[in-house]
Amino acid sequence: MTGSAKKYYAAAVLAVWLIIVAFFMILNRTLDLEVFFVLSLIGLLVVAVLIDGAFSRPRYMRYIGYLIAAGVALFAYIVAEKILEIIAA
Amino acid sequence: MQREAWTVLLILLLAGGAVFAHVTTTTEEYSRYNTGWNGTSGFAGKEVRDLGDLDPGAPLLILAPDRPFTLDEVGYLRAFLDDGGRVIIADEEGAANDLLADLGSTMRVRPGNLASLDRDHADPGLFVARVVGNDTLFAGVGTIRVNRPAAVEGGVPLLETSILTWDDADGDGRITGSETFEAAVVCAREGNLTVLGDPSLFINAMLTENPQFIQNTWPVRIDGIHSRTGTANQIINTRLWIQETPLAVAALAALAVLPVAYRFGRKENE
Amino acid sequence: MNHRASRAVLMAAAVLVLALLGAQAADPVLYTAENTSTAAHTDPATVQKRSPGDANALVPLMDELLGQTGTLTLTIKLKDYESAERDLARYSELSRQFDRLVVTLDVSGTDIGEFQQNNRQNQESLAALLNDTRRFEDLQRLEIEVRGNDEQHMAVVYEGEALRQKMREGFSAYAKREAAATRIAEHYDLNATPYRESVDHFAEITDAADDWWKETGGRSAPKSPLRIAVTPDEGRYGDTLLIAGTHDGGRPGDPVEIYIDSRLTATVALDDGGSYRYPYRIGRVPAGSHIVYATAGAVYSSVVTFEILSGNTSTTLALAEVNETTVACTGNLTTDDGRPVTLAPVHLRIDDDTLTTAETDKNGTYRKEIALPAGEHTLQAEFHGAGYPLNASESPVGTIIVRGEGLSPLPFAVALAALFGTGWYLRRRQYRREESLVVERPEEEVEVAEETAEQAPQVSIVGLPPREAATVLFCTLRARLGIPETKTPRDCARIAPDHAGFFGRYELIRYAGETPSEEELRAMEEEVLGGDKNAA
Repeated sequence: MTGSAKKYYAAAVLAVWLIIVAFFMILNRTLDLEVFFVLSLIGLLVVAVLIDGAFSRPRYMRYIGYLIAAGVALFAYIVAEKILEIIAA
Repeated sequence: MQREAWTVLLILLLAGGAVFAHVTTTTEEYSRYNTGWNGTSGFAGKEVRDLGDLDPGAPLLILAPDRPFTLDEVGYLRAFLDDGGRVIIADEEGAANDLLADLGSTMRVRPGNLASLDRDHADPGLFVARVVGNDTLFAGVGTIRVNRPAAVEGGVPLLETSILTWDDADGDGRITGSETFEAAVVCAREGNLTVLGDPSLFINAMLTENPQFIQNTWPVRIDGIHSRTGTANQIINTRLWIQETPLAVAALAALAVLPVAYRFGRKENE
Repeated sequence: MNHRASRAVLMAAAVLVLALLGAQAADPVLYTAENTSTAAHTDPATVQKRSPGDANALVPLMDELLGQTGTLTLTIKLKDYESAERDLARYSELSRQFDRLVVTLDVSGTDIGEFQQNNRQNQESLAALLNDTRRFEDLQRLEIEVRGNDEQHMAVVYEGEALRQKMREGFSAYAKREAAATRIAEHYDLNATPYRESVDHFAEITDAADDWWKETGGRSAPKSPLRIAVTPDEGRYGDTLLIAGTHDGGRPGDPVEIYIDSRLTATVALDDGGSYRYPYRIGRVPAGSHIVYATAGAVYSSVVTFEILSGNTSTTLALAEVNETTVACTGNLTTDDGRPVTLAPVHLRIDDDTLTTAETDKNGTYRKEIALPAGEHTLQAEFHGAGYPLNASESPVGTIIVRGEGLSPLPFAVALAALFGTGWYLRRRQYRREESLVVERPEEEVEVAEETAEQAPQVSIVGLPPREAATVLFCTLRARLGIPETKTPRDCARIAPDHAGFFGRYELIRYAGETPSEEELRAMEEEVLGGDKNAA
């Protein structure tokens, strides 16, 4: 698989995953941004691990570390907020 | 290039599916093409459009009627009742009162919003009514969950609410002003004619709340002309008309076949 | 489309979407199906379930209250005072439960509220009846004992007369309520027979008292020397009624006790003229007729009734924000005449759901601070007029938006920590990966390099394929030059410019897939060994 094909497949899989998540949220009649963000972060992490090659670092993988770090920071924020909510209740 | 073609195809399929779902369903209340919570798509009753040709073995359900009944139709219903057929009129706005008067019945629907303190949901209009009296429609059922019903006057009572029920005229969910507590009858019967003050029992969201009652209505026919189970959506109506008219089906089939025949015909000629 | 243009469009679209989502970040739940409803029905899947408990108990409780009146009057009639006390205690307990239920279910505006009022008055009547009957029995015994003593006998007779009048009045008030109570009982399908029997028992008790009194001294008893009058004989909340009279046989300074509804209200002293006066302010007493009598020592006055009329009230409500989570509700409770209603309970209804109580102070003003979650809330103050000669009133509904607590710094700190942690972890993974890439290859050649480092580097590339031979030569040269093994050929070329050509060629062999020729290999070998010769 050449480099750019792999990139497109990864993006396509991620998009399909997001569509599935959105479909189930609409089916459940609840649209929650936090849930959507967390599930999309999981999808991103899974896809990043699967397309990562041991011996090369293509251009589209170079900056994904920053994106993942930002996503995890936001996820940590959400978790901390929820814990505070639960403790306060 | 091929990959992009597949992506475009997939997206087109998804969009097509969404458009199809959008076009073939509506959000009108009580409509059989409404798959949402307030439609009757889940209620399996066959629709009849000709009141003159009814089989007395199956009960006829007139669900939330909004069209007046002509004298001929009243005559057909009268004949159906006399033959032993059962008619269930489910109405909570009072539109069936004219029909009831024409049929010579003393029952009337009193439109209003019944609310009760004796409930197990947060909404005051969603409560439980008791089954009194003996009827095959309520065989094996002790209580029915009703959803903002109207009261029925006259006839032999079949469904009664508790004393802590009032007619919430101002819609504030509490008993205020001139509202008083009164036990109301939600379903009454006179001979073969049954009047049910709550057509909401047949919507998709309420089918699972009273399963035994829904089963008892089998095999029910729904009056397609007068009930509100139709739709004003032109596309669905057109599709229905095409399905029902054999000439239209043939025309469509011809339309599909002709271009193919033309193309292959031309090839042979060449 | 141009590559750059499409890239720019994608970036712009991504930024726009992120901005739109970020605008919603403060309120992440965009939509939930809650209480979806139309005029004709609601969706039961979206409506919250709750326990029906309270409402079920209402009608049975009313039934029990009516039943209690019957048993209580029966035990009083049979003079079984201990059981009567127990019954009375149970009756008050049930009444208290009923009051709480009425407030919780918010039905005090209906005829259930009327029933509640009747019930309270019945309870007071029956408690008074119990006490009066007991005292009457004591008087009957006392009357026989003091037959010889004229003065004491007179006192007993006066008290007996007062008690008889009290019981008469009590009975007429009780009987007046019978019609309304039975009407409500029939509306709710309650068993009103015990209640009707209780009226009959009450009548019998009162008639028995009448009979006894007629036998003993009623006909010839003069009027009591202690006179009492109430002017005016009717009033509203906040009015002052003057209770005054004279005591013919009394000395100035003698104490006179005034009883209203059989409860001691005040003790006044006789003045020099032998008269007493007491201004009675109408406060927390129910509307209707009440009885008052006075005693001076053992002498009882006759019983006088006065009427308290009910009046309307008005409640105001003002909402103010105290801090981000608390709201202060203040307001005034006044009668229509402008009099403040003091020390009265005011109920505050939050969001049509929960109820808290506040109390008005001496000026009729109440104030309560309530902690609420963030968002918009509606508040309404209600006065139920229970136990007051006042009608219920509600304030207009007030809305307030509670800001809610500001953001706490803890989640931000956690987010920063997670950011650094992830960055550090990813960095480490990258270094380790690079290391493993480089370390893995020359594993076999490490021993070779070590050997050569001890003595003059002797390297044998006989029998090796050309590219691997080149690799071996490169590693040897790098080790000999003392360059650490993590350095790539390009780095080595930078560090040791003399051998830049060697390293450059090797880079092409290793990474560009070129194959060295025999001559090149020999030249490279020479360079590796040649350096030794120079060094050595």
